[in-house]
Amino acid sequence: MDLGIDPERLNACVQCGLCLTACPTYRVSADETMSPRGRIALMREVQDRGAPLTREVVRAFDTCVQCRACEPACPSGVQYGSLIEATKATLASRRGGWIRALAFAPLSRPRLLRAGSVLLGIAQRAHLVPRRLGLSARIPLWRAPLRASGDDVWMFTGCVMDAWQRDVHLATQRVLEAAGFGVRPTGAGAPCCGALHVHAGLHDRAVALARRTMDGLPGDAPIVVNSAGCGAALKEYGHLLGTDEARAFSARVVDVQEFLARHVDRLPTVEPLALRVAVQDPCHLRHVQRAHEPVRTVLRPFVRECVELDDEGLCCGAGGAYSVLEPGMAGQIRERKLSSIGRARPDVVASANPGCSMHLAAAGVAVRHPMEIVDEALRLSARAGR
Amino acid sequence: MRLASRTRPRRGVPERDAALVRELVAAVGAPNVRTDDAQRALLRRDASVFDGGDAGPVCFPRTAEEVQAVVRAARRHGRAVVPRGAGTGLAGGAIPLGAPVVVSLARMTSIGEVDRDARAVWVEPGVVNLDLTRHLRPLGFHFAPDPSSQQVCTIGGNVANNSGGPHCLAYGVTNAHVLAMDVVLPDGEMARLGGLDPEPSGLDLRGAFVGGEGTLGIAVRIAVRVTPNPPAVRTLLASFSQVRDAANTVSAVIASGIVPAAMEVMDQRITRAVENYVGAGYPLDAAAVLLAEVDGLPDGTAHDADAIARIAREQGATEVRLAADDRERALLWKGRKTAFGAIAQIAPDYYLHDTVVPRSRLADVLEQVYAIADRHGLMVMNVFHAGDGNLHPLLLFDAREPGMLDRVHAAGADIIEASLAAGGVLSGEHGIGVEKQAYMDRMFTPDDLDHQNRLRRAFDPECAANPGKVLPTGHSCADIQQLSSAARGLWV
Repeated sequence: MDLGIDPERLNACVQCGLCLTACPTYRVSADETMSPRGRIALMREVQDRGAPLTREVVRAFDTCVQCRACEPACPSGVQYGSLIEATKATLASRRGGWIRALAFAPLSRPRLLRAGSVLLGIAQRAHLVPRRLGLSARIPLWRAPLRASGDDVWMFTGCVMDAWQRDVHLATQRVLEAAGFGVRPTGAGAPCCGALHVHAGLHDRAVALARRTMDGLPGDAPIVVNSAGCGAALKEYGHLLGTDEARAFSARVVDVQEFLARHVDRLPTVEPLALRVAVQDPCHLRHVQRAHEPVRTVLRPFVRECVELDDEGLCCGAGGAYSVLEPGMAGQIRERKLSSIGRARPDVVASANPGCSMHLAAAGVAVRHPMEIVDEALRLSARAGR
Repeated sequence: MRLASRTRPRRGVPERDAALVRELVAAVGAPNVRTDDAQRALLRRDASVFDGGDAGPVCFPRTAEEVQAVVRAARRHGRAVVPRGAGTGLAGGAIPLGAPVVVSLARMTSIGEVDRDARAVWVEPGVVNLDLTRHLRPLGFHFAPDPSSQQVCTIGGNVANNSGGPHCLAYGVTNAHVLAMDVVLPDGEMARLGGLDPEPSGLDLRGAFVGGEGTLGIAVRIAVRVTPNPPAVRTLLASFSQVRDAANTVSAVIASGIVPAAMEVMDQRITRAVENYVGAGYPLDAAAVLLAEVDGLPDGTAHDADAIARIAREQGATEVRLAADDRERALLWKGRKTAFGAIAQIAPDYYLHDTVVPRSRLADVLEQVYAIADRHGLMVMNVFHAGDGNLHPLLLFDAREPGMLDRVHAAGADIIEASLAAGGVLSGEHGIGVEKQAYMDRMFTPDDLDHQNRLRRAFDPECAANPGKVLPTGHSCADIQQLSSAARGLWV
């Protein structure tokens, strides 16, 4: 059966297996059907050798978190992300995918998402939300408005993050402003990047959202993103659409830490917070954008201590909607992360991705966005100086 | 015999295995037995170029006792057992032949307390080599054998293949780092081989078992030596305009009395491929580069590094530089260790050879290797553990080209002939597996092989442990046809 995978890309894997231990699902299962090499071999069996899509084969593909940690581990440069995305898209179209399409519909409709979020927030307060959804922090019923302060940079606000974690946006904006940049929040002009749609295999919808986002953010100003998942998706519009326009757009996209690391001298020197901070690298920052070092560059001047986790950037199990779709596997993966965090003994974990921070917070970890930490240091010092 | 798909049971193994599968489930629990086509299709292969065999039921035991129970169940049903770690072997040692029960040890990953007095630690076979070193590092130790696949390969696999690695030049291969083992013998009995005493009494069965490629039983607990981390490390990179100069430098360094921790050579093609992947600053215009590392006390390493640099220049090195910091060192080693995978940027398939020649003959044999590849119209790259004369020629090809595999095998045979003719041996560290079985009688006399065969039969009188490997056809346990006529699934 044709999975819609480019044969040359599929053929690039030499089956050396050097990816196995980088894969969170292999790490917790020791099962090769849940490893990148195994999944690629199964793609070949199905696409090249006509093997049937049995329950186990589908399960192998469904359990992939799409963290893409196998890509930097791969010396052959296999583009695993594109292989699994094509596979998921084919599976989604076979299944009809309408349930997911319906579930994802609010993401690109800010008012619907907002209304749903308020209902969810109320349900949460009435203890009506099942624990498996992993919502730990309370969804806000009221949000401070976003205001533009200039046109030096766009600040990408996205969908769920804007509804549930607007405080992170406000903190991000204040930090950018402290570095002297005028900020224009993207708001309803670009309601959703389409990352979750790509992951779920809803290709056409993802393409439509990419076009809409590009139309909504004209000009040459950098598009600064504080969600690792959104940033990775926006940076991949060039691949998704395959046009020069999309490639030019993607070239403007920059992770907020990546951006500030280039301008770190523009931030005021302040008293560091008395915190031992462990940096959790979101997969889509470390493995896809490969822009995880800047988080440390930006954080270090603002905290007493910045420590590393000892798990070589292994996924936390959040994976966009993965923690809801595969709660069992996501929980096992998170256990590994929790034990690594335990060994690092931090006061707080810094995570530059909303999905990761919610997933970790649901397990009782104190998590904050790096921008919230920097913002707090800046604000405390401003207050002290007053 | 191939069953028609209409009569195939829904789950992948034949119905006549139902009783066996029930016993395996009783041994390890239902979630730890897999019989589906997908699982069996993946475990048909390892990282070698050989097309797979045929896996029977796959078990994932979690304890030594469960391994024992699996082996006993397989024996009761007259089925062979093939152990598997991470499946990174390059000689086909983990390929299941004759639909045996495949025992994956990847779920046995516990690491015991480090015994500082004995400088040893007991580990389970599924522990990943690099995980062990990471675990030991904060305690001031590491596990010295460091195969290029160390980020993935398991200690059990290292024991089975007596694996080496760049740093085995000074520290010795796996055999020098295994003190004792609990092994499940092919009949299901458990035995302890070796011991933590400096001189365990009796025959060195431990030594016989290491490198047994799963044909003597399954190691289920392994006491490995822990090596103290060196106080100082210096890594040099020397560039040469000829491969011969690099090879001669290696011999000259050893002849001068220095035993570096590692000495690795890569030729230009491989250097370019890895540089493209790691960006470590490897010179792209050099015909060959030598990566040499010395470790020990700071003054000693400084002295040795100077001496190696001087020798390299005398042998014609165009440039010698010292890695400035740990980051540069790590990048240089990452380049060396991912060399095999990195070549996939150039061709979709590769065949990695593994022969050893006397160090003094390195330069000559290398020239022959290039000539052999030319003769067969193949591209070859050379990257090797130069310090101990262990060659790793890589033949690059696209298996989809008709007739290509025959040319690759013919070139491989010529390389082996050239190595043996120079006084070398068949394998440095990858093992014999199915890859080099047919060459065993080129290396060993019938008498040698007979003794190896008898040792094997002493452990495994019924040919139940990884049959069809190592010993060539004609010796017992080498021919597996009679062992099983199990139905082949759709995947085969």
